[in-house]
Amino acid sequence: MNLTLKVWRQKDAQSDGGFVEYKIADVTNDMSFLEMLDILNEELVAKGSDAISFDHDCREGICGMCALMIDGQAHGKDKAATSCQLHMRRYQDGDTITIEPFRAKAFPVLKDLVVDRSAFDRIQAAGGFVSVATGNAQDANAILIPKQNAEKAMDAASCIGCGACVAACPNASAMLFVAAKVSQYALLPQGRPEREKRVLAMREAMDAEGFGHCTNEYECEASCPKGINVSNIARLNREFLRAAVLAE
Amino acid sequence: MNAAKTCCCQCSCRLFEFLESSIGKKVMIALAGFLLCGFLITHLAGNMFMFGGANAFNHYAEALESNPFLPLAEIGLAALFLLHIALTIRAKFANMAARPVAYEVYQGKGARTPGSSTMAATGALILAFIVIHVATLKFEVGGSKGPDLFAHVTGWFKNPLYAGFYILAVAGVGLHLSHGVQSAIQTLGVSHPRYTPMFRKLGLLFAVAISVGFASLPIYFGFFHHDMACCAAKGGAQ
Amino acid sequence: MKLDSKVPTGPIEDQWDKHRFELKLVNPANKRKHKVLVVGTGLAGASAAASLAELGYNVEAFCVQDSPRRAHSIAAQGGINAAKNYPNDGDSVWRLFYDTVKGGDFRARESNVYRLAQVSNAIIDQCVAQGVPFAREYGGLLDNRSFGGAQVSRTFYARGQTGQQLLLGAYSALLRQVGAGAVKMFPRREMLDLVVVDGVARGIVCRNLVTGAAEKYWGDAVLLCTGGYGNVFNLSTNANSCNVTAAWRAHKRGAAFANPCFTQIHPTCIPVAGAHQSKLTLMSESLRNDGRIWVPKKKGDARKPQDIPESERDYYLERKYPAFGNLVPRDIASRAAKQMTDDGRGARGGLAVFLDFQDSIKRLGKDKIAEKYGNLFDMYHHITDEDPYQAPMRIYPAVHYAMGGLWVDYNLMTTVPGLFCLGEANFSDHGANRLGASALMQGLADGYFVIPYTLGGYLAGAKLGKVTTDHDAFREAESSVTARTKKLLSSGGKRTPQDFHRQLGKVMWENVGMGRNAKGLKEALSQIPRIREEFWKTVSVTGSGESFNQTLERAGRVADFLEFGELLAKDALLREESCGGHFREEHQTEDGEAKRDDANFSHVAVWEHNGEGQDPARHTEPLTFENVHIAQRNYA
Repeated sequence: MNLTLKVWRQKDAQSDGGFVEYKIADVTNDMSFLEMLDILNEELVAKGSDAISFDHDCREGICGMCALMIDGQAHGKDKAATSCQLHMRRYQDGDTITIEPFRAKAFPVLKDLVVDRSAFDRIQAAGGFVSVATGNAQDANAILIPKQNAEKAMDAASCIGCGACVAACPNASAMLFVAAKVSQYALLPQGRPEREKRVLAMREAMDAEGFGHCTNEYECEASCPKGINVSNIARLNREFLRAAVLAE
Repeated sequence: MNAAKTCCCQCSCRLFEFLESSIGKKVMIALAGFLLCGFLITHLAGNMFMFGGANAFNHYAEALESNPFLPLAEIGLAALFLLHIALTIRAKFANMAARPVAYEVYQGKGARTPGSSTMAATGALILAFIVIHVATLKFEVGGSKGPDLFAHVTGWFKNPLYAGFYILAVAGVGLHLSHGVQSAIQTLGVSHPRYTPMFRKLGLLFAVAISVGFASLPIYFGFFHHDMACCAAKGGAQ
Repeated sequence: MKLDSKVPTGPIEDQWDKHRFELKLVNPANKRKHKVLVVGTGLAGASAAASLAELGYNVEAFCVQDSPRRAHSIAAQGGINAAKNYPNDGDSVWRLFYDTVKGGDFRARESNVYRLAQVSNAIIDQCVAQGVPFAREYGGLLDNRSFGGAQVSRTFYARGQTGQQLLLGAYSALLRQVGAGAVKMFPRREMLDLVVVDGVARGIVCRNLVTGAAEKYWGDAVLLCTGGYGNVFNLSTNANSCNVTAAWRAHKRGAAFANPCFTQIHPTCIPVAGAHQSKLTLMSESLRNDGRIWVPKKKGDARKPQDIPESERDYYLERKYPAFGNLVPRDIASRAAKQMTDDGRGARGGLAVFLDFQDSIKRLGKDKIAEKYGNLFDMYHHITDEDPYQAPMRIYPAVHYAMGGLWVDYNLMTTVPGLFCLGEANFSDHGANRLGASALMQGLADGYFVIPYTLGGYLAGAKLGKVTTDHDAFREAESSVTARTKKLLSSGGKRTPQDFHRQLGKVMWENVGMGRNAKGLKEALSQIPRIREEFWKTVSVTGSGESFNQTLERAGRVADFLEFGELLAKDALLREESCGGHFREEHQTEDGEAKRDDANFSHVAVWEHNGEGQDPARHTEPLTFENVHIAQRNYA
């Protein structure tokens, strides 16, 4: 199939960007979306032009590196999939596809489609951990965790930190990301001792990064490649309220 | 909460910090929203006296207005509205700032509802309505109440423009509530795999009930009440 | 080159304890005066950086990704082994040790493997304490499963995302230290050179992948935790950014490279779909528990599998290995598939074999199969657009893991003092073949429980003078990095770096892949230098060196693969035996099985760089087995 791509090009963080239109021919059904971009890039490089920069790594939907807004949808039209898991068989000959970077104040564009998501690392560094230094642990089976809680914690922990929740949120809110981490630890006894401290610190770090407020529209959940549930956001709200009232 | 230490009054400072936080702000908006829902219920219940005829309604109105605590309640209600609106506007500005460059194309993945994507618009509509509503029915702009409140109200309802706007506004309230109720529940941290879907449905039901309930008044008294009006009423305002 | 493994003497079960006691300690007050550079933040790097910072060292950590959470450890699916013996099924440290040495086809160092088995239990404890949500049973205890043909259930897992959960655990520990100011994190940095001052590793030169600047960092020790080199084959299950560059540059600065020809090929991957393919996707090995592998009996039979009657199918694994059937070890299953496709009997006439679930579906019902493998079936369906409930899957082996790596002694130190190497990047624990669920174990063992001790031992004993990045050695390394970047940008040809990578990958896969022989290896050795020469003449690298430039990144990595690939082929040519993942067609039993030559090759091949254009020197570290009984692997 032949396609037209409208791609956001931006030289660096300081420069203004804009859309550039590309034609690409002979795209096949079994290509992934990123492989289609690879081919376009190879054509550009062979012609002596600068390739389109986009983040990607594992290409199997687990590293969370790829992050494209494709036709106004984070990671494109498939549900529960990352950009790298999108296949070209989902498109038809003659389609025009608009590709933009994830947009948020807290995710500044570095180049073309590449954004800086280090805000997530800073939020995690504020409290997304259990303070257990290496060597301090008791026997693993000394902590009994009901299967149901372990499963729920695992659901939350499967977040890949791609930022699709922020990209898809009408308010560029990072609540689903923060909620996933807070929930994982809130559901496990290991996380209990730092429960209040964690949620207060992570909320503070989240706000300091300039993410928006959650208005419960749940586009985050719909766009999350791992299908992380918004019930985690309710848990985050609960944990925060509890901590805000109880903290000394 | 470091700021607390530098503040002379720790308690108020913590409240301030809570209100400034993204989640705290939303919690206050949600709480105010819930209380406003309570107001809607009592207001609607009171309005239902209209179906009992002029006497019943005027009686109820008199009793209400003679209550010495009414001004206090009114101030409280106004404060609730102001809090709900002020915090929402603050959040809205922060949300706009959180995405300085808009998407060329934005379509999402279908989670937004007509209610959720129009909260600001329905909010503004409701605000405009409240201003007109309070101006005409309380402060007597455009016609004095006289002793017969029932006649005053039905008189307004006979004005198709007024009735139409009223219906539009309560439809806006319904749309606002269709998202607002479940959103407030979520913001207050209430979530359960079994009950949340039920809460969401109840929220919708509440939204429909409120808007149908309020809309029934202008529809009935504005468009269908003529015949009965000849027999029962003592003439409308104007 | 002197290779001192520093393996402690005495009974193997006491060696690590004794060694830890003998290692000197760094005074707690002095620890913060030592700066340690950790390159790579996968399981090994993140766990090392976190643990060292907890001890009080001043740590700087570097990764090529935008966040330390994205290292390729995250993609590991199956699980992590430990000798907990929770299921009470006869496991022990000794058995895990034994299985690992045997699984590695007797080409690993006994003492290292024993230590690995010893610390395996502490890893599970540590990870659970961090909040890693391992699978549990209803009573709240940890669940275990048998994995990769092991006869005991010693594998801990977190759904099919064990690597992700362990990495996020290590990442959280790392970020705790970042938050505390004990670790300084440098993401989007690629190490392009090692700085050696007076024979001791004292720093690195990185390219800042955002600004393009060459940045110099000094340290009292450098830890390479940079993963494996599977992408030398271009197509592998590795992430796109996995590369050999850091290890290769360190090699050129004096770190010996051990057993580069030991690469693992995973039998159950989704086959290549076309020239556009950028990566291969692994399907969990567990599929072989219920799937039957077959090919058409007739050569060139391109019919749909549904149209091939039972009598014209060859269930070749069940035929050749009646005892183990479809569950033979990875290397054997992979090679058998290659034999079939070489014979022209591939699925639909291509490079694939069928993995058929029809019998299991008939026996257990579709629901049961969906319950067990639903997510894998969905993944396959999503990628290939073929429904495995209706028609058999098509699978083919793919490069998956590198057992070889930089040579390290018992302390994980390379032949350059002060340069340590951890995780997949080193050669130490898996011999010629890695067992399933052991990679995660090794990465975390190295980072959490080995390096915190051995690094202290080094720093306490080393007399390190003060070094700054103004030192001549830093300037020299920086200018060589800059010159190389300039050279890459100025060749002005028309061929893309990816194109060269594909060409190299094809040569490697065809000649140095699953089945190797002298003729093919020599062919590879004659072709690789030609490709390399062509590369430097005609590669097109667009964009600038002073900005974000992924074409340049790729070109630099391909350039190093073009050098490293030659060493890999050379190592494969000189190892005149078959063992584990290294199969020399000249050395097989009558049944076509790998035939080791313990008399001549019971050693580690250790390669020393002799300068550009010079032949590398092959040294050996003899392997002696005092605790396990050497035997020929037999799965028939």
